[in-house]
Formats: sequence, C-alpha cells, structure tokens
Amino acid sequence: MLALRIFVYTIVVLMLLPVLITLPVALTTVPRISFPPTGIGLRWFVAIFGDEVLLKSIARSFWLALGSSTIAILIALPCALAIQRGPLRGRTLVETVITGPRMIPQIVLVLGMLVYFEQIALAETFLGLLVAHLVLTIPFAFRTLLVSAAGLDRRLEWSSAVLGASPVRTFLHVVLPQLKTGVIAAAIFGFVLSFNNVTLALFLSGIGQRTLPVEMFNRMYVGGMTPVIPAIAFVLALSGVLLFVILDRTVGVYRYLAGGS
Amino acid sequence: MMKTAKGAIPYLLMVAPAVLLLAVFFAIPVLELLHVSLLTEQPSPRNPVPAESLVNYARVFGDSFYLRMTLNSIMLGICTTIAVLLIGYPIAFYLTRAGSYERTLISVACLLPMFINVIVGILGWYILLLPFGVVQQTLSSIGLVSGPLLVLRTFPALVGVLTYEHIPFAVLILVASLQAIPSEKINAARSLGAGTMRIIRTIILPMTMPGLVATAILVFSLSTSSYLTPILIGANRVPVLPLAIFSYGTELLNWPLAATLSFILLVLVAVISYAFAAAMSRATRRGAWEIV
Repeated sequence: MLALRIFVYTIVVLMLLPVLITLPVALTTVPRISFPPTGIGLRWFVAIFGDEVLLKSIARSFWLALGSSTIAILIALPCALAIQRGPLRGRTLVETVITGPRMIPQIVLVLGMLVYFEQIALAETFLGLLVAHLVLTIPFAFRTLLVSAAGLDRRLEWSSAVLGASPVRTFLHVVLPQLKTGVIAAAIFGFVLSFNNVTLALFLSGIGQRTLPVEMFNRMYVGGMTPVIPAIAFVLALSGVLLFVILDRTVGVYRYLAGGS
Repeated sequence: MMKTAKGAIPYLLMVAPAVLLLAVFFAIPVLELLHVSLLTEQPSPRNPVPAESLVNYARVFGDSFYLRMTLNSIMLGICTTIAVLLIGYPIAFYLTRAGSYERTLISVACLLPMFINVIVGILGWYILLLPFGVVQQTLSSIGLVSGPLLVLRTFPALVGVLTYEHIPFAVLILVASLQAIPSEKINAARSLGAGTMRIIRTIILPMTMPGLVATAILVFSLSTSSYLTPILIGANRVPVLPLAIFSYGTELLNWPLAATLSFILLVLVAVISYAFAAAMSRATRRGAWEIV
C-alpha cells in the first residue's frame, strides 16, 4: 500500500507541476521566459490589462462560451424531456444524431465545417463560430440533461395539473426546480468546454477575430511569447480549479462527468 | 399504446431544433468533406467544379511519407493509451479507498487537465522541457545531465504530454467502474483465504474490464486525432495525420488532400476501436464465466 501511495503522490505532483510552473515564470521582470525568475514582480500580470489584443480575445471567448452554453441548454432541454417521456419511436435515431459529433475527431469535424461555411458565407464570422461551438455543447448538454430528466417525479406534475396549474406554470414551478442541478451542471460544463476549445476557433476564426486560447496558441507557435502568456495561463488555471471545487461541492463532479462520457 | 399523430406533434417540435441544427451543421459538413475528398483539385474561381475521382486516396496510399505518418499516429495513440491506463488504474484504485480530504486533493490534481485550457497544460510542459528549462536545470544541478536537454521535440515527450492530458478520462471512467464492484464479492474472496493479488487478478481486474476497454478506446481516439500537442510540443519533428490535415486545410489550401487524410484518420480510429472492442468483449465474456 505504501508503494501505491508513493506512486499516486508522485503522479499528483506531476499533474500539478506544469500548472504551478507558470507562476514563477510569470513573476519575472524580464521580457522573456526564464527560470528561476529574474527579479520578482507583478509586471506581467499588470501587462494583461494593457494588452488590447489579449483583452479583446478574452471578451470574445467569454461571450462565445456564454452564448453557446446558454443556447445549448435552451435547445437541448426540450429535446431531452421529449426523448425521456415522449411517444417518439425514433428515440435511438435522435440520440445517435445528437451524440454523433462526439464520435468523430474534432479536427475532421472542423475541416468539414470550414469547407461548408465557406459555401454558405459563415466562414470567419462570429455566428459561424457560435454555431460550431453549439455542435460541441449541445450533445454534452443533452447527455447531462437526459440524466437529470430521468430522475423527474411525474406524480408531482400530475398533482400540479389536477390542482389547476397551467402547463407553463407546472413547467416553471414543478419541473424546472427538479432539473436545477442538471441545468447548472450543463451550463458550467458547457461554458468550460466552449471557453477552452482551441481546434474549432483555430480553423474558423478570421484574422483579428481570435479567441483567447487561439491567441495563446498563436503566440506560442509563431514565437515572440512574453511572460504575459504564462501570467494569463496561471489566472486561467486558478479559475479552473475554483470552478472545479465549486462544482464538486455543489453538484458532484464524478456523477455528471462520468455519466456524460 | 399507439399515440395519435396529433399527440406526437408537440414532442416533434421539442426535438426538432436540436436535430435540425446538428443535421445542418454536423451531418452536412461531414458529407461535404467526403465529397471534397473526391475532387481532383482545390475548387477555385477558374475551376469551381473540379472532376471527381479517387486520385487523392491513390496518392496517399502510394506514398511512403503518408504511410509513415499514419504509423506514427497509431503508435502515438497506442503508447499514450498504455501509459494512461498504467497510471490511471492505480490512481482510480487508490481514490476509491481514500478518505474525503485525500480524495478531493487527488481528484483536483488528476482531473485538472479537463478543467483548465489544454494550452495551459502544454505551455507548462513546454516551459519545463525547454532545452535550458526547469527540468534540465534541476537535473544538471544534481549532476544527472550536462548541456541542453533534448527532449522537447521528441516522440517520448509527445507521449508524456498527451498522457497528462488524458489521465482525467481514465480516472473518471475507472473510478465509476471500480465503485460498481460489490464489496461482498471481495469480502467473500478474502474470507475464503484469497490474497490481495489474487483478488485483484480474479475479481477486480475482470470486473473493471469494460471500464478499461472504454477508457482505452476513448483515449486512443482522442490522442490519435490530437492536433495541439503534436504541433506545440513536437513541432513537426514527429509528423502525424492531424498536423498534415491542418496544414493542407488552412495553410496550403489543398482541401481535397486534407479531406482525404481526414477520412483516413476517421476510418482508422473507428476500425481499430471497433476491432479492439470486439476482441476484448470476447475476452471479457470468457473472464465473466470465471468469476460467476
């Protein structure tokens, strides 16, 4: 058991190391990647707010993630409810169509989108990017909400109807509260999934329309990376850990993520 | 039991937006890609509708360069999958037996790559593995290496970083699969005098085989088609299919060839995953008989 414990903690350290290393590298005061840091200061964290391009890409990523996770829930929730209890016979077919995008490599999917979007004038537009992200977030929201919808207590709805509530009122006051955890989980996971996605935006966003991950990718790949990138990376990692802890304490990470994959 | 057509209409309306959106923006692009892979040249204003043929497939299959690239992709996927399983299984095993506090700590660490941007993880490893980066300086300070460390652009570095990225999937699936083992089975075996190794070999391993197979297929398909790590860590020194797809698709603007390579990647991943699942399901069915 001791050998296992040593192994597990070695891996824990290795998993945290690449994230933690961005902090000392970002704290340096010289404009290049170096370790150990030359001088200690917050220069590069402050520089984030002076970097117009970076700020714009952060805003674009934020709205994209917010939009695609919200719309995904609005589209996936009725679908999950209908599939869960509907008289439709094509249930398997619908499920296959909806979970399809998860089955094929993203790089293949995005190349197809690039070709198709060029034909229908969606290429290099924000709308095109949003639609592409929806293809990614809808299947995820659908799986999560389906798990949630399976746990609905129909007797409560019947009671509500018997007592004279309209279908809309029943939905808002009886069904939706029962689905709350599922909706929160789907929203947060959808946001994270969309915010962190690189491949789709890498192919589909035009010049000057980059999302934050693509901007980071570009500065790493093309070169000329200053410690502002490790700085923003550390901030991102910190918010990731924070979201994780919040989710784990409220919804339970294992339940929803394992059910989703 | 048959509902009237009228009763089904609201349900159809509820399903329609999701199905339509995915049909238009998922199914059509994939079919369009299949069509493009058959074109003899890139559509251009001068030649908007090029002739269709299998010339791209012939070109790819006849060129040893693409063959090597395909083999690289498969090797990368297999090595990553094995590494992820070897690391993820003990961790998942430990997690199911750890206390609440320890469980949160290990979960945060091992699921982290799923919650942070993949670029952040790659950036971290990039900084660590630079020729005069953190790892080199640490190793040379204790006298293990001298001079620059040349691991960044190599196959093992690529496998290492891909393993890091995919450990969360293994941990999630395997924890669920380990938790599903009824503890009476293990207690029964123990009371009948079986040692820990024997319990692992005859109960735990066969019962988690479906989880292991699911993890292997998921990790294999994700890592074989991964693009970011090969470009940022391998930087074209280790040529794999996704790198060629990206470069033909966006930089060199040869969509037919990019589409052809995409379908080869797609079929490759699907066939290997399916064959593996079929082989393993035969093996586990035999295993299942042994533990009944």
